Amino acid sequence: MIQVKNLSKYYGEKIGVQDIDFTVARGEIMGLLGPNGSGKTTIMKIMAGHLPPSAGTVIVDGHDILTAPKEATGRIGFLPEAPPLYPEMKVAEYLHFCAAIKGVQRGRRNERVGQTMEMVSVASVRDRLIRNLSKGYKQRVGLAQAMISDPPILILDEPTVGLDPKQITEVRQLIARLGQERTVVLSSHMLAEVGMVCRRLVILNKGRIAAMDTTEKLASGIADTGRFLLTVKAAPEETGQVLASVGGIRSFRPLEAVPQANKGYCSFVIENDKNSEARENLSRALAGRGIPIIEMRSAGVTLEETFLQLTGGSSPESADS
Amino acid sequence: MLIILKKEIRAYFSTSFGFIFMGIFLLMSGIAFTTYNLLGRRSDIYGMLGIMRTLSITAFPVLTMRLLAEERHSGTDHLLLTSRLSVTDIVLGKYLAALFVLFVTLLANCVYVAILFLYAEPTLGAILGSYAGFFLLGASFTAICLFASALTENQVTSAITSFGMLFALVIIGSLANTVRLPVLRDIIRVLSVTSEFEELTRGIFRFGPLVYYLSFSIAFVFLTIKVVEKRRWSPNG
Repeated sequence: MIQVKNLSKYYGEKIGVQDIDFTVARGEIMGLLGPNGSGKTTIMKIMAGHLPPSAGTVIVDGHDILTAPKEATGRIGFLPEAPPLYPEMKVAEYLHFCAAIKGVQRGRRNERVGQTMEMVSVASVRDRLIRNLSKGYKQRVGLAQAMISDPPILILDEPTVGLDPKQITEVRQLIARLGQERTVVLSSHMLAEVGMVCRRLVILNKGRIAAMDTTEKLASGIADTGRFLLTVKAAPEETGQVLASVGGIRSFRPLEAVPQANKGYCSFVIENDKNSEARENLSRALAGRGIPIIEMRSAGVTLEETFLQLTGGSSPESADS
Repeated sequence: MLIILKKEIRAYFSTSFGFIFMGIFLLMSGIAFTTYNLLGRRSDIYGMLGIMRTLSITAFPVLTMRLLAEERHSGTDHLLLTSRLSVTDIVLGKYLAALFVLFVTLLANCVYVAILFLYAEPTLGAILGSYAGFFLLGASFTAICLFASALTENQVTSAITSFGMLFALVIIGSLANTVRLPVLRDIIRVLSVTSEFEELTRGIFRFGPLVYYLSFSIAFVFLTIKVVEKRRWSPNG
């Protein structure tokens, strides 16, 4: 449905994005994830025809964005980071205007504006000036603008930014619903969001693709290590000796905040080689020393850790996720 | 184009820009009418419009400062550029909306004509000719200011640039007589947008000034279209 081919964008000497290559299949919800300044917005603007690429191109449903811009952008509904609103217009009036310039037939405009307002829940403010709306409502009106001509592709740049938690949940549900019949490309710096909504992710770092895979695969980690948590009833020093002696264990560190420390328990986070028998060996070794195992469970690598690994430790703003 | 025309006319009167332009224009023409016609006891309108020709360069920037600069500032320009509309539709729609406001303002000006008819016996043909001439001059001013609005995303910069350009064009006319070099004098005369005005507003109809103002307006509207088109594909968006 969308092919991004060898896309590069330079701002003078500075690299915006470089050699970006990916495709988005019909009906897929794809997420662009990256720290601030990693090139998410640049890629989306180029895809939506707002910004010309320095090299490479984007093909939308067979139409090249450079040679057939009207055909390509006509299939795309775009919600930029700052929604393109006219503050002096009323909500319904604005959506009527958008429907008209996007080629919705005159007879269908009323129906289409009504439907879209229902979908993004702005019908209650239809006669209010956009200037006077809250940020959350403005964002939704922006989303309605992107959907007004019922385009098969939606490109949404940080669609939930500035919304309250309830609205965020609503918008996520809406995107998931839209993704059932449309192709959606979504950017976010919030891991929780893309993890929940998107089936496939492109992780960007410094203008290049750092990883591209399904959300599950990325969340299960790119490294060849596994990780588990161990709680035993023994002194930490003694347990440490046992851990050091077992094959297949790469590293371990004690957990400082152990709730049951007063009962003589201690806990460790242990990294082991994948496909090794570290856990079995460890149980045997502990049993041999007579140390009772209170708990042993796997602690999977989170999407956030994968992300940090890929982007060289530049943390996404996960505090608000 | 009609969609943009309608939107812009509505925007003129839902924001304060339309009213501010009309306010400034009517206030200045009121002063000009009082001093030239009422106190000077004259029944022709072209003298009053002659004063307005210079004074109104402060009003036209208000009429156009928002048109393209604001779209760029708020990011709505891309909404229009990626729609079904062509750049020509967008620019022409906005230009015609500004002309509509100018037309309405000149209609409101007719109250002075009514006063003249009450107390004197002016010639209707001359009055209509004067207003038509002023409208053509205003159309050229508007086209120049629209062009200035396309150059920037800041409304204030747009207004100041417009004012500077209009001021230069008005001033250049008076320079023409002081220049000795015939070629240069001719060039300055061509550029001097207000010099053709005299003849037109005295009710003498000739094709020369008409073609002059129309081509002046068309040239600047065309330049505006080119500037917007170029920026659409400029490297920095």
